[in-house]
Amino acid sequence: MSDAFAVLGLEPRFDLEPAALDARHRALSAALHPDKFAGSAATERRLALGKAIEVNEAYRALRDPVKRAECLLAARGVPIGDGAEPRPPAELLMEIMEVREELAAARRAKDLPALERLERAMRTKEQATTAALTQGFAAAGGAVELLAALLPELGKLRYYRRFFEELEAAMDELST
Amino acid sequence: MSLLEIFDPAASPRPIGIDLGTTNSIVARLRDGAPDAIRDCDGEALVPSAVFYDRTGRVVVGREAQRMAAAHPTDTIVSVKRFMGKGADDAETRRLGTYEFASPTSPEEARSVRFRVAPERVVTPVEVSAEILRALHQLAEDELRSVGPAVITVPAYFDDAQRQATKDAGRLAGLEVLRLLNEPTAAALAYGLEQKQNGLFAVYDLGGGTFDVTVLRLEDGVFQVKSTGGDSALGGDDMDRALAEVLLRAMAVTVDASVASRELVRLALDAARQAKHALTERDAVELTLPVKGGEETTVRVTRAAFEELVAPIVAKTGVSCRRALRDAGVRAEELDGVILVGGSTRVPYVRRYVAELFGKEPLANIDPDLVVAYGAAIQADILAGDSHRADEILLLDVLPLSLGLETMGGVAEKVLPRNTTIPAGAKQVFTTYADNQTGFELHIVQGERELAADCRSLARFTLRGIPPVAAGMARLEVTFKVDADGLLTVSAKELTTGLEQHVEVTPSYGLTDAEVEEMLLDALDHGEEDMQKRQLAERKVEGARILQATRGALEKDGDLLDADERARVLAALDDLATALESDVSARIQGRVDELDAATKGWAGRRMDRAIGQAIAGKVLDEVDASVAHARGVEAHVDEHARRR
Repeated sequence: MSDAFAVLGLEPRFDLEPAALDARHRALSAALHPDKFAGSAATERRLALGKAIEVNEAYRALRDPVKRAECLLAARGVPIGDGAEPRPPAELLMEIMEVREELAAARRAKDLPALERLERAMRTKEQATTAALTQGFAAAGGAVELLAALLPELGKLRYYRRFFEELEAAMDELST
Repeated sequence: MSLLEIFDPAASPRPIGIDLGTTNSIVARLRDGAPDAIRDCDGEALVPSAVFYDRTGRVVVGREAQRMAAAHPTDTIVSVKRFMGKGADDAETRRLGTYEFASPTSPEEARSVRFRVAPERVVTPVEVSAEILRALHQLAEDELRSVGPAVITVPAYFDDAQRQATKDAGRLAGLEVLRLLNEPTAAALAYGLEQKQNGLFAVYDLGGGTFDVTVLRLEDGVFQVKSTGGDSALGGDDMDRALAEVLLRAMAVTVDASVASRELVRLALDAARQAKHALTERDAVELTLPVKGGEETTVRVTRAAFEELVAPIVAKTGVSCRRALRDAGVRAEELDGVILVGGSTRVPYVRRYVAELFGKEPLANIDPDLVVAYGAAIQADILAGDSHRADEILLLDVLPLSLGLETMGGVAEKVLPRNTTIPAGAKQVFTTYADNQTGFELHIVQGERELAADCRSLARFTLRGIPPVAAGMARLEVTFKVDADGLLTVSAKELTTGLEQHVEVTPSYGLTDAEVEEMLLDALDHGEEDMQKRQLAERKVEGARILQATRGALEKDGDLLDADERARVLAALDDLATALESDVSARIQGRVDELDAATKGWAGRRMDRAIGQAIAGKVLDEVDASVAHARGVEAHVDEHARRR
């Protein structure tokens, strides 16, 4: 994917102001949304649609801390993805295994309050990891080694996110 | 003044907004800048979404059709919306109802529900809906004389097949469909313009057959949908059914496929609906119903009993609301308001439930039956390019249900998650798994479940013409695009050769383009001839719109053209203007294409400028402010000088 920060014309930084991101997305949408080209010639309509899609894709990426971090690292030439990143430490794997067991137990017992407790606990951890990444990115500047040292934290965030997806599916299942 | 407009034969076509509802449909337009529903000669804005097929082949729509339902339960289709985009085996066909379904004789036929009606006709939901749209178009034409393009609303939670079916119905009815607009967003647009208040809102839309909830933020004319949820088969009809089942028991009726039974089911459903309406005002109603052997029985229904009956139905909406809030990352107490839409929100129990769920009294100051059509009319006006509001208002909607692909083991892999802002796109790269494999099949599904089999199947795409290479060597890039209507298109490219792949699409549900085309020909009295007339009219409107847009662009961005380009664009504009005077469809199209070619490079530069301006927007504003300030100083100096 092309650089999401460049598409939105934003300074590449991890601690992006959500309000600034929203405002930029709104401004670009106002210029590019298909509604603004309802009466235009075919080429122009196609062009605008392509750009509008690109803008929405970039917006989606930058709203997500994991993708935002990936964009920043990729732009600095830090290899990311399977194989390129250090293996997750055993403690993290243990931790995830334990909470997933808790999740499975609560799901079996149809215990919605337990799921909600689990969600709160994991959100706290997620916030701590995001805070660590924010600090790390600020401290690293553009230094590739310092940026690469953030990969384990990013890995954590990915695990948490996958966990939340499962948790949400369980919550949906219990509330229907 | 409006009289003059109505009878002016040269009056320009006026855009319309259509709420194609489960129970009632409405057509609206803008009158002096304010949305207004078009009423029939009895002053009624609500056209019952009922279609009656009589024995002579005549088709009746609306109130008269509704009256025929009791005596002709199988030939009168009401609530057709619930069958849109559904296959012949859909669960909806097995619920309590009065229709006779034609069993499919081929896989193609199985892709759509088919009703058997008089006189020995078989019709699809698309055709039935097209009849309703035609009636609405006629109603609009009676008032406006010349009717332009239309915006048609759909439930936000409609999937791709249901949206496509709605668009097909519009086409079949001879409408130029500018946009499919989500109903809650339409309602928010109508409210937003009236209230002029920024903030975070939830729209709770419980109609006759569908339920939607949408969380959106309104900021300076931009309506940004944060999340949407719902159930496209949940609504007032289910309340009627629940009560009708009680009534049928009191009538000692055993439901079977006989005509007698169908008539009694229709009677019970109608009685239930009337009781529901009456219970909005009263605490109890008494219904007199026939029982076997010509006797009658009186059933007393209290509001409390009715509420107990519908509580489980209403509770289902709560699940969707909580999920929509969670998806939006919003707590109920952060909402600035909750908007009620849909006739079923008139039920007092629903209002109490919503107030409790969101912790605030919901807003219902615009008629919940009309508000969606109002929003559609406003949007139609904006899209048709006639509106001064075009620059002030923008609707940013989302994909309601995740789009994905079936992968190994039948797992649905999400390519575009739900609540992604549309238009949206995503690319996915695949490779071949066998040596010299030249074909590839993709199964596209929509929904949130883990297994593809539990999601809704949208289509199968077969790619052909992949160069024969060793397994794993070919690189197929599949692109998903969802347009502003929420409709998906898929294309594929082989990356090593750069060849666009031929994609054969087999929709899982609904009609193919060829089938719609054929129906269109059948529906018109003079087939080909009428089609050509219609095509000419559409080309003229489109050509005129492009002419106007290009002239506007010349004024705004003319400086981006060099002398040669400018000369070519001006010549192409003149040619198009001349062609529009003619009645030759092909000529108009040719000139439109030429203008398109002449403006190609320029369009790209204009786009870049627009992007640059949007990004620099804030900075520009600041510059403007400082200039204004500087002028202020000058004025001071001048004043000072004068005084001296």
